[in-house]
Amino acid sequence: MPNAYEIISRFDPEFPRKRAGQLLTDTTEFMSITYGDVIDLNGRYYLVLRDEKERSFGVEDPKYWVKRCRELSTGERKILKLVFYERFPVSMGSMEIECFRSPRKEARILDLVRGDWRFMQGYSHDDAAGNNVRVLDVVKGDLLSLHIDRLEADHRTYFFEMLPDILEKFAESCRAIDFLHRHGENHGDIRRDHLWLEQGTGNYVWIDFDYTYEFQENPCGLDIFGLGNLLLYLVGKKFCTTFNIPRPDFDGKADVSLEAADFSLLFKHRLANLRKVYPYVPPSLNTVLMHFSCTSEVFYFTVAELLEDLLPCIDEIRRGRITT
Amino acid sequence: MDPKKILIAVDASDNAARAVTYVAELLGGSADFQITVLYIERPPNRDLYPDEASWIEAGQAQELRIRTFLQQAKSNLTGHGIPPDAVTISYVPHCQSPVNPAAQQCSIGTSIARDILQVQQQGDFGTLVIGRRGVSRAEEFLFGSVTTKVTHLAKDCTVWVVQ
Repeated sequence: MPNAYEIISRFDPEFPRKRAGQLLTDTTEFMSITYGDVIDLNGRYYLVLRDEKERSFGVEDPKYWVKRCRELSTGERKILKLVFYERFPVSMGSMEIECFRSPRKEARILDLVRGDWRFMQGYSHDDAAGNNVRVLDVVKGDLLSLHIDRLEADHRTYFFEMLPDILEKFAESCRAIDFLHRHGENHGDIRRDHLWLEQGTGNYVWIDFDYTYEFQENPCGLDIFGLGNLLLYLVGKKFCTTFNIPRPDFDGKADVSLEAADFSLLFKHRLANLRKVYPYVPPSLNTVLMHFSCTSEVFYFTVAELLEDLLPCIDEIRRGRITT
Repeated sequence: MDPKKILIAVDASDNAARAVTYVAELLGGSADFQITVLYIERPPNRDLYPDEASWIEAGQAQELRIRTFLQQAKSNLTGHGIPPDAVTISYVPHCQSPVNPAAQQCSIGTSIARDILQVQQQGDFGTLVIGRRGVSRAEEFLFGSVTTKVTHLAKDCTVWVVQ
């Protein structure tokens, strides 16, 4: 059996011998897999470059089970997700739910969405020890939320000039989630970090489908709530919270008057009633947003219900038909 | 529907136990009722387990817990004077159950509430009893509530919600 250096040097003769690590067919001990190792997955060789990192609040949190790699035969960058059965509580505002990582679920969804540009692409294969390894294409681009944040426009300009196109694309992202639901699947972790704006195509692309939960009577609820949160971000051009309430029309006399009822169902500091600070948000769109507020009496049980209300709002913004 | 045919839908929770006790205390000593204690199986999510063996093991442990609960429910009812032949235990397995693969009647697993109501309709139960945990609106929206769904969808029967 060849060693890692022999494999690497076939494709990259310049690679320094001393940096070559182990040749692995078993990825069970993912903590010890590091730069210079080569993972042999059914005859495809992946040179490990580094551990993936999750970045939030300026802090980098290494994900040791996710490896940034280069497929040696093609030179393409890939992400290899190795098996890590993790069970952990996720806080959603005031609620805490138990969440699990499932390689099996993610592998199944990768098969389901093959060729569908609305989702990250990849395949899975069991290593020699039976670990389900997912080999993912790298989505090149930016987080959609970062892109939105960087748009240089005041909110009114953003709202009328840019948001309709953004919402059209977001609606397609919603349809993508609906596609999963209609096939008995869910995304499981819809949040800003998991929707990317792909460089070149401008497509919105969902990533990371490995979160799952125990049975729920409403299996789509978490995903729909996640879509609602993203919608609040897109319409507000940020999450408007008690700490950063915008006051575009503040005249120094009458300030914006907010009540508990104006805030999110789960995130008590996140404003859902955006019309209070941006009066040009049409009532129809604000009604959609208020479905995710803490006073809502009704909730969307399917993505189709959400879209039925959201789609007409896009045209309404485009037409500039504003009722104040 | 026969109102004296009573269906108690349970999981193994304290709320379900309270629903059983409520019926036992209310109807204890009466011989005119037929009571079925129903459990719709929801096996552990296969995606959460690394292999079949650990999934089956978890399924077996769950089934043992539920069947113990069902027997305790029957004892509770008969202990309050309801004749043993008036109490039936019904365990409806999931169609992909790891421990009951050959079951003839099974739940496809999309909605426990709908499964309960199907049993209620097919069995001519005029009274349906169910416990309620008292979930917040947020939980109800995000995860759904079997009890809320049952009360919304039930037709031609009386629903007792025990909290």
